[in-house]
Amino acid sequence: MTASVKLQGIVKRHGATTVLHGIDLEIRPGEFFILLGPSGSGKTTTLRILAGLETVSAGTVTMDGSDVTAKEPGERDVAMVFQSYALYPHMTVAQNIGFPLKMVGTAAGEIERAVADAAAKVDIGHLLGRTPGQLSGGQQQRVALARAIVRQPKLFLLDEPLSNLDAKLRLETRLGLHKLQRSLGATTVYVTHDQEEAMTLADRIAVFMDGRIVQVGTPREIFATPGTLAVAGFIGTPPMNLLPATWSGASVELGGANLPIAQNAGSAGAAARPVTLGVRPGDLRVVATDDGMAATVERIEDLGDSWILSLLDADERSLKLKSDRPLDVAEGSVVAVSFAPEAAHLFDATTGARL
Amino acid sequence: MTTVAARSAKRQIALYAVAGLGLAVWAFPVIWGLLTSFKTERDVLAYPPKFVFEPTLANYREVIFGASSIVPNLWSSIVVASGATLLTMLFAVPAAYALARLRYPAKRASGFYVLATQMLPPVGLIIPYYLVLQKIGGLDSYSGLILIYLTFSLPFAVWLMVSYFEDVPLEMEEAALLDRAGRLRTLWYVILPQVRGGIAVTTIFVFLNAWNEFLFAVVLGGNRVRPVTVAMFNFISVEQTQWARLAAAAMLAMAPVILIGLFAQRHIVKGLTVGAVKGGGRRT
Repeated sequence: MTASVKLQGIVKRHGATTVLHGIDLEIRPGEFFILLGPSGSGKTTTLRILAGLETVSAGTVTMDGSDVTAKEPGERDVAMVFQSYALYPHMTVAQNIGFPLKMVGTAAGEIERAVADAAAKVDIGHLLGRTPGQLSGGQQQRVALARAIVRQPKLFLLDEPLSNLDAKLRLETRLGLHKLQRSLGATTVYVTHDQEEAMTLADRIAVFMDGRIVQVGTPREIFATPGTLAVAGFIGTPPMNLLPATWSGASVELGGANLPIAQNAGSAGAAARPVTLGVRPGDLRVVATDDGMAATVERIEDLGDSWILSLLDADERSLKLKSDRPLDVAEGSVVAVSFAPEAAHLFDATTGARL
Repeated sequence: MTTVAARSAKRQIALYAVAGLGLAVWAFPVIWGLLTSFKTERDVLAYPPKFVFEPTLANYREVIFGASSIVPNLWSSIVVASGATLLTMLFAVPAAYALARLRYPAKRASGFYVLATQMLPPVGLIIPYYLVLQKIGGLDSYSGLILIYLTFSLPFAVWLMVSYFEDVPLEMEEAALLDRAGRLRTLWYVILPQVRGGIAVTTIFVFLNAWNEFLFAVVLGGNRVRPVTVAMFNFISVEQTQWARLAAAAMLAMAPVILIGLFAQRHIVKGLTVGAVKGGGRRT
């Protein structure tokens, strides 16, 4: 039942503006695949192209090996959960969930069974007689999920399904979603701008920036080896520290300090190269004065189980340091910070590509 | 506490006074008409006007059973107004949906054209309409008058309905398309229930416009098809004006409209409250 999906050279234009500049993507059967990116990066447009709700200006959409580019939404055997849930307000919960089955002429008894089944999976069996207006946001979201799973489609599409829920409910629902996807085993494409959702739910992530996919990989790969400067700055809370530095040999020169890194620029004596150095806040640490770069502690935020230091380097550039232990420093004091050689990420100063 | 209570009581009284005054102004002609319909022609013309008089049902007897009975005219009005309303809604609903949602060439132009037909004063069209109906043999016929009524009620209904369709969240429609409902069943099962209130309101307005129409009815109608508005006008003649009979006829002509209004009111309110989707239509 579950489908593989392939996008090839997808271009989407709205008049003079190009929303998608050639998207290539392969999604494997049964995969939980997340399209991640900031607002306006083209991820929702890509999802809507998969659904058939948007036409393409160029390129092909293939599902299970057959070209569906020109097919109507109803002919693709895909189900979608909308950000607004898009429930039918004049129908009961049961009628909402049963609607996709009713539309293909399923017998009433069978619809009833399937609806009860789907409702049980998302734990709303007791709400079947109500109308959407009588439900809380979380319950509405689960009705939308049930309506999507009731007909066992080949492909699930979810457009920011958690964004209208409050923080606590979002965490619970996130877990539930993951469990549901695993138990159904259906290919799932999920759009979000929340990198934490992407990190926790995805088998693989495609990171969108300005209408292009800039990196595809597992959450671990994307976090550990961001492919570009933009991805590095987008993933992680707080985001990666990015500072201009000069790279020569096996060290970078940064704010007057020479810090060792694992990568070697090549033969000794080669010209020093300007780069952007990236270090995750969790990889920065306070060291003895001579072993690091000097920075002023501007603010210490106590999160209970971790501490975040806002630092200013000699050139007034701000840095974040995250520690899971309380640090013996005071706000306003000057400290030295450094990082393990293998924690450094280097990006080309002009192109932003990973080095 | 007492001063606040006193002030709010004063406010209440002032509000009631203003509302009462407004109501009196609005209701006066109706009440006056109602009183007149129970007077004899002599009492009608009495000066100063009589508020206490011996009521008579003679006027109603005359306009229902008498020589100048308006019952056939009421029937004409019902046929013309219902026929025009039914046809109008039949065409206006899909047309408005298309204008609100579908993409097709010259959509803006066609939308403007629909509106443009409303910009001509109707009186300017009477002669062309007369000639057209004469050519096709539609003078003094139900189909002819209904056809002409469509020319003004259809654009009106389309424009009213477009805004109701535009208020339906697009995502709800897309959800139905993905649920394999197709365009027509999406309209039937998902969209139309959302605009029930709008359909009710539009239907009533279209019906009222047709029911109250006089200009086209007097020129394009005749002995066979004479709506009640024209028949009432006939109580005013060169020799005399039969005010009491006119009033009785007016009361009878008003009755169906009031009944429809009372019946529809509940529907309208219901139509307005159903259909709210949380976060509907939002997209980031």
